[in-house]
Amino acid sequence: MTLPDLSDYFVPTQESELIDLLGRFGERAMIVAGGTFVHGLEARGLLSEVEALIDIGRLGLGGISQDAAGVTLGATTTLAELRRADFVQTDPAFGALQDALDYPPVQIRNVGTVGGCLAASAPLYDVPAALFALDGTACVRGAGGARDIPLNEFFVGLFENALRTDEFIAAVTLPKPAARTASAFLKLETNANDLAIINVAVRITLGENGRCADSRVVIGGGVGECYVRAGSAEAALEGGKAGGELFATAAAAVAHDIEPVTDQRGSEAYRRHMAIVYTRRALERALGRMVTGGTNG
Amino acid sequence: MKKLVQLNVNGDTHELAVNPDETLLGVLRNHLDLIGPKRGCDSGGCGCCTVHVDGKAVYSCMMYAVSAQDKNVVTIEGLGQNNDQGNGNGRELDPLQQAFIDAGAVQCGYCTCGVIMAAKELLDTVKNPDEDEIRHAIAGNLCRCTGYQKIVDAIKLAAAAV
Ligand SMILES: Cc1cc2nc3c(=O)[nH]c(=O)nc-3n(C[C@H](O)[C@H](O)[C@H](O)COP(=O)(O)OP(=O)(O)OC[C@H]3O[C@@H](n4cnc5c(N)ncnc54)[C@H](O)[C@@H]3O)c2cc1C
Ligand code: FES
Ligand code: FES
Repeated sequence: MTLPDLSDYFVPTQESELIDLLGRFGERAMIVAGGTFVHGLEARGLLSEVEALIDIGRLGLGGISQDAAGVTLGATTTLAELRRADFVQTDPAFGALQDALDYPPVQIRNVGTVGGCLAASAPLYDVPAALFALDGTACVRGAGGARDIPLNEFFVGLFENALRTDEFIAAVTLPKPAARTASAFLKLETNANDLAIINVAVRITLGENGRCADSRVVIGGGVGECYVRAGSAEAALEGGKAGGELFATAAAAVAHDIEPVTDQRGSEAYRRHMAIVYTRRALERALGRMVTGGTNG
Repeated sequence: MKKLVQLNVNGDTHELAVNPDETLLGVLRNHLDLIGPKRGCDSGGCGCCTVHVDGKAVYSCMMYAVSAQDKNVVTIEGLGQNNDQGNGNGRELDPLQQAFIDAGAVQCGYCTCGVIMAAKELLDTVKNPDEDEIRHAIAGNLCRCTGYQKIVDAIKLAAAAV
């Protein structure tokens, strides 16, 4: 046994059961969705205090729905299911998700879940960066009832999030994008199965006049304890004429927002430089999507 | 404390008592003697443990056996047609297995069962995949011998045969 303190593997079929278990085991409970992050922790010997593994695969938390307000992704929706969704395949506004979902290997997409990739709170992952740039909100339930946590407030540190020990993510919502919105994501990696050296998710909305009316620039991968929302870049985009010149200026502003680290994947200077290059390219990619069109706007 | 789990593997149902933190890979290899899936990295980095669960390629080293309860697991041993008529000829190879032999896509073989299972999902879902799709489908599988070209050739050959 690699989990010496494990007392049981629970498979609740009611949310109330899950909440009871989370309350009973507190810090010693570990939710298992796809298990891909959990196994990574276990392999590193980081789960030695876990007493209860709680498999949430039979709670009916999966599935994708769409209405006038936007889309709702059930927490146990797999990355593969999300990748197949029509809006991800065709709507330029969700282009960042389409791009990001290309990176995890199929074996991870088939079991890794939307809730799991967020709750892992690893700012090195790709899919959460895209969900963040699309203004995602985690719909959370627990002993104290339900609450919504915008992803902006969800990630609070490296592997840390705003969930209380008795809470779980039930779903993630993405608001309906405004007309003339497109998004894109890019990742710099050492090989096809590695974590990001840096990654960038952007979303732009253009006004009638072709000027940038709204934007998000989110950077991950060794540029801070959490994903960084690059406020300086967003401010530089505001009201400007979308195109190469504006994008170069906005991308350069990213340098003020990030605090890259030096590790085996890349130096601080390299990350800073590539964050600028990739922000510019991601903005161009998003604009290209808007020009070539899609189903929105 | 052991948990009872029912696993459908390669068409047979097994009821097993397993430790709750045992992985599917451990159960396949150690309880069921299915040693096609290999233990490489044990943490999602190499792909040689790839099997299908309900038709989808997964890393069996990253799945608790208990969570595979009632699901259909297929390992490389379950590919191909069973035409065992008691004459010892066993199974007829899957077109992918045959193509790996014909294209010379196997060197040490440690990665092979996993690569074939990843490629199998591709061929089950995409007709005539192009080279990009093939390389993308096996991006989660490492091979330290072949340099991948012959593996890609083999998958193309199998795609043409199915
Ligand atoms: C080899 C490998 C390659 C990868 N490559 C990429 C990549 O290229 N790009 C990328 O973006 N990601 C990548 N990932 C990360 C992958 O996307 C995540 O591991 C996966 O999405 C996590 O989901 P899961 O369901 O498996 O989570 P689990 O491992 O089940 O859970 C993750 C964490 O969240 C908690 N949790 C899970 N669900 C909930 C919930 N509903 N409520 C509260 N807490 C919950 C768990 O307790 C655990 O702490 C990779 C992972 C691996 C192992
Ligand atoms: S042993 Fe499972 S991915 Fe390496
Ligand atoms: S043939 Fe040796 S690792 Fe692929």
